[in-house]
Amino acid sequence: MSTTTEGRAPEVPAAPSGKKGVVNWLVGRLGLSATMEDQYNRIVPKHATNYIYCFGGIAFVLFIILAVTGILLAVYYQPTPETAYQSVLNISTHVQFGWWIRSIHRWSAGGMVLLVFIHTLRVFFTGAYKAPRELNWLTGVALFLITLGFGFTGYLLPWDQKAYWATKVGTDIAGSVPLIGHFLLVTLRGGDQISAATLGRFFALHVLLLPGVILALLLGHFWMIRRHGISGRL
Amino acid sequence: MTRRGFLKWLIAGFGALSLAGVLYPVARFLKPPASVAGAIGQVVKAGDVSSFPAGQLTPLVVNAKPAAVQNLGGKLTVYSLVCTHLGCTVGIAGDSFKCPCHGSEFSATGTVTHGPATLPLPTYHSQVQNGSLLVGPIDLSRADYPAWYKGEFTA
Repeated sequence: MSTTTEGRAPEVPAAPSGKKGVVNWLVGRLGLSATMEDQYNRIVPKHATNYIYCFGGIAFVLFIILAVTGILLAVYYQPTPETAYQSVLNISTHVQFGWWIRSIHRWSAGGMVLLVFIHTLRVFFTGAYKAPRELNWLTGVALFLITLGFGFTGYLLPWDQKAYWATKVGTDIAGSVPLIGHFLLVTLRGGDQISAATLGRFFALHVLLLPGVILALLLGHFWMIRRHGISGRL
Repeated sequence: MTRRGFLKWLIAGFGALSLAGVLYPVARFLKPPASVAGAIGQVVKAGDVSSFPAGQLTPLVVNAKPAAVQNLGGKLTVYSLVCTHLGCTVGIAGDSFKCPCHGSEFSATGTVTHGPATLPLPTYHSQVQNGSLLVGPIDLSRADYPAWYKGEFTA
């Protein structure tokens, strides 16, 4: 009488022999030995062990910092015209370490725009966008634009004079697009004027839509760099 | 202990230290600040009556703003320490008040004894209940106070 394995869970692979620790336990239980091996044995070409190849990675670190500090700021921030500015003041002056979290978020935001830009220049000048990597270049361009979108929407949230007028100018520019300009302007502002609707929309974009889109695109960006490998030397 | 083991512990130690250095401010950040505990117009418990010694001005914080409790023969009065001139924090000078910014001075009852301030120091609505001092909003009937004592006073 032979037993059949059909309808039963596949045999769980054991942990790599002789290796201890939480990571190895997980690797064993999830059957990731081959995947991990592949990651460990990946060779970084010598021309790429260079600081100018680090900017994309640094930009990603800044993204993680922005995500964490952003979640923390959202704990105290209130996106209504009556309370937005007060809640930001509250974070900066009353919440313990609030000034610290907010400053990190603000400076990392500027830094991320800068580093994504430098990373884009690096890819451009090393010709890393050429076949077969065109799709990753296009994903990168989208990621750059989304980073700018984060900056633009985040700028309004403190709801001070600078925020108000920057958004007025920015949305006016969108309004000057031929044919669909007015539609863009009204969609961004939630009306003809900058109002509570604008603040609500920018907040939703900043903390809900853009984070979702950037995560999906980052996943694709990283998957493709693994798939293609690092581009050849100049 | 092997050299490898030692280095492993060293790295783990530095890692844990760095992590704690980040998690500590985050935990403090998540703790609600005083201003949230007592929002605009809310009544807050300032403490036991016994913690305000007679004949003294005891500093405290009301809704994240500086204040002082005066105990004159058992009668407790809570003064705001926000100067009526330009909003500096007024200092306690013996039984009266003196502002370090522009030299305004206030008597023990809060009236102006030296300019440039023109309005008396505001007091808070307060009362003693079950042995503890409860502090409410600012008593706006004392003078025609500038905007920062009204809506915007508690951020």
